[in-house]
Amino acid sequence: MLTISFHPETFGDPEPYGRNTVKFRIATSVVLAATLALAAAACSSNDNASTGDNKSIEFWSFTGINQKAQVDDYKKLHPGIDIKLTEVGSSVETAQALTTALAGGKVPDLVLIQGDDLPKFVQQPQNFVDLRTLGADKVKGDYLDWVISQSIAKDGQILGVPTDVGGMAVAYRTDLFAKAGLPTDRDAVGKLWPTWDAFIEAGKKYVAATGKPFVDNAATSVFYQAVNQGPEKYYDTAGNLVYDQSPQVKTAFDLGLKAVAAGISAKQSSFATGWSAGMGPGQFAVVAAPSWMLNAIRTNAPGTKGKWDIATIPGGAGNWGGSYLAIPKNAKNPKAAWDYIAETQSPKGQLAHFVASGSLPTTPSVYKDAQLTSLKDPFFSDAPTGTIYTDSLLGLKPFYIGPDSSAIGQEFQNAITNVEQGKGDPATAWDTALKNIKAAIGK
Amino acid sequence: MTTSLSPTLGRLPALSGSVGVRQRIVERIAPYAYIAPFFVVFGVFGLVPLLFTFYIALFDWNPIGEHTFIGLDNFTRLLHDDRFWNAAGNTLSIWVLSTVPQLLLALLLAHLLNHARLRFAVFFRMSMLVPYITSVAATAIVFAQLFDRDFGLLNWLLGHVGVGPIDFTQSRWGSYVLIAAMVMWRWFGYNTLLYLASLQAIPREVFEAAAVDGASGWQQFRHITVPSLRPIIVFTIVTSTIGGLQIFTEPLLLSRSAPLTCGPVRQCQTLTLFLYEQGFGQFQFGYGAAIGVALFVLVVVLALINYLLSTRIRREQR
Repeated sequence: MLTISFHPETFGDPEPYGRNTVKFRIATSVVLAATLALAAAACSSNDNASTGDNKSIEFWSFTGINQKAQVDDYKKLHPGIDIKLTEVGSSVETAQALTTALAGGKVPDLVLIQGDDLPKFVQQPQNFVDLRTLGADKVKGDYLDWVISQSIAKDGQILGVPTDVGGMAVAYRTDLFAKAGLPTDRDAVGKLWPTWDAFIEAGKKYVAATGKPFVDNAATSVFYQAVNQGPEKYYDTAGNLVYDQSPQVKTAFDLGLKAVAAGISAKQSSFATGWSAGMGPGQFAVVAAPSWMLNAIRTNAPGTKGKWDIATIPGGAGNWGGSYLAIPKNAKNPKAAWDYIAETQSPKGQLAHFVASGSLPTTPSVYKDAQLTSLKDPFFSDAPTGTIYTDSLLGLKPFYIGPDSSAIGQEFQNAITNVEQGKGDPATAWDTALKNIKAAIGK
Repeated sequence: MTTSLSPTLGRLPALSGSVGVRQRIVERIAPYAYIAPFFVVFGVFGLVPLLFTFYIALFDWNPIGEHTFIGLDNFTRLLHDDRFWNAAGNTLSIWVLSTVPQLLLALLLAHLLNHARLRFAVFFRMSMLVPYITSVAATAIVFAQLFDRDFGLLNWLLGHVGVGPIDFTQSRWGSYVLIAAMVMWRWFGYNTLLYLASLQAIPREVFEAAAVDGASGWQQFRHITVPSLRPIIVFTIVTSTIGGLQIFTEPLLLSRSAPLTCGPVRQCQTLTLFLYEQGFGQFQFGYGAAIGVALFVLVVVLALINYLLSTRIRREQR
């Protein structure tokens, strides 16, 4: 037991400003000043870029993408290399932390950037190592051209190497389809909706037969998918904004409104509380599902195992999501970081990661590999996920993604959701969206 | 084990002249050194960022790219930006909706908890603080489920009395109510305890004398409790104003599909959330800083109104 006893008599100093007291005060002031100086120095100290030992890698990733497994494997193969993996937060939070770090802080050696956040960084390539200097131009051909082209700056600098893509398909409930008198076999379902108009017609039949909504929402499951299925989205190939005149965008927007008007939507925004809760009870029968969405369905509706299947998406091709590995300019160990990228993101490395975690490879050379084609998912009625998703990638045409692409897309989706919720007028929705985009991006 | 703290401050010989001068200088300086830590920390984390915000607001500032001086363009744009006025309106509405009922409720609860014959008083007083120590994120998740359109408890109850399911997150007033409920739930206990503490400083005899004179419970509340709590009421209004204008986490966690705008038409986007969207969502630091300056002005104006009101209340008390 610790007892602290004070001796009051020694405190009642008869000379209140005695020398020892003064000394004590000077000492305190000095200590304080020194502490503050240290604190100030710590704030302003600049990290020197050339102090690396090329043996340790500071790696920033985001949650839910399981980079840890790959990092652990790499460390086992290379015992001399130490990788410090930090899951900063969500993909958006990681991009924000990276922005702050680039603006004047301590940068990691290696960082994972989600596709939606990438254009802002590609616009400012001076913040990153040109991976061509480390050998990226030699392996560039390994990756899907429209995927790697998103991480190439105007002057040809390669900022990042793609680690995975989402692909696109439609997950549907076979039990509910059977009740509604719709086909349940995945090939027959794919033939049921070759186009988005056919998809909406199928939805009407489902609603008429069951009285329940067909698809989770119109903004994400219809508009967002349709708008990605063409050669030109919000920018033309030269990088000029064309979102207000691009026929592809207008068609997709009208399809979204048409789905709303047809009354087939459950009006549940993706990832909202009601969306997660509605999946199990069958509040909707269809969800647009990139490969990573399968895991969300599995966790949200664990009781529906075997009642789902996966069919091709209307329009045949699509992608949602995907990430890139990049090396910031002031990284301490760029060479070690590149060695990690080169090994883990090679076609062989990506295939191994797909088998282990389900992340879709960005390297088409492994798309016919038996390890990929033979993979079946029991939760989704043994659907061959490897082939379904890689097929959806091969039909995609590259389009230019600019710095404001995600802000523009968000405003279009907001306008459709607003109509879906009964708050917006479908007749003026397009003009409202254009007005909001102008306010959002300032041009 | 016994540790004895007895600094050996022995008797000192008389001080010589030069030591005396030095000593006097040190005496003059020492107090500043003692208060320096606060001012240095405030300077580093408060004043410098504040001034820097004013500076950045004059630029088109990309955090990882170019910084172009554009004068007051950000402010001109802000004044013509519907989204800014929308956010300001949302912030003020949510502030009124959450503060007024909350403080009235806290006042009433404090009055009840102060009752002499209340049993388990400590238990009730302590349980008031439980919401306050719960994390905002957890609160937001639970409230989102309670208020959910299809599977929420509240809509289930409303369904029994024939009121159709309300999608709180999608309508303007619905989301105001939802956010105000979260804020109220979190803060009413804190304010109740503040009121209770100053209520307990009022001599019990005053209430007893009033009771003897035949004053009802309501009359005691109206004529003793409220007047004697005036200073603390002003204090709670000031703190809830500052807090209310900076509501951020609750609206951020409300809409999962469009978190930064709190829904498709920014129906519950507050000023701080708008600032965050522009600064850290769109990387428009200059414009975000301009929003911050506008928020600063708004807080100063409201603080001035508060100050004028409170000095007037104090004068009335005399």
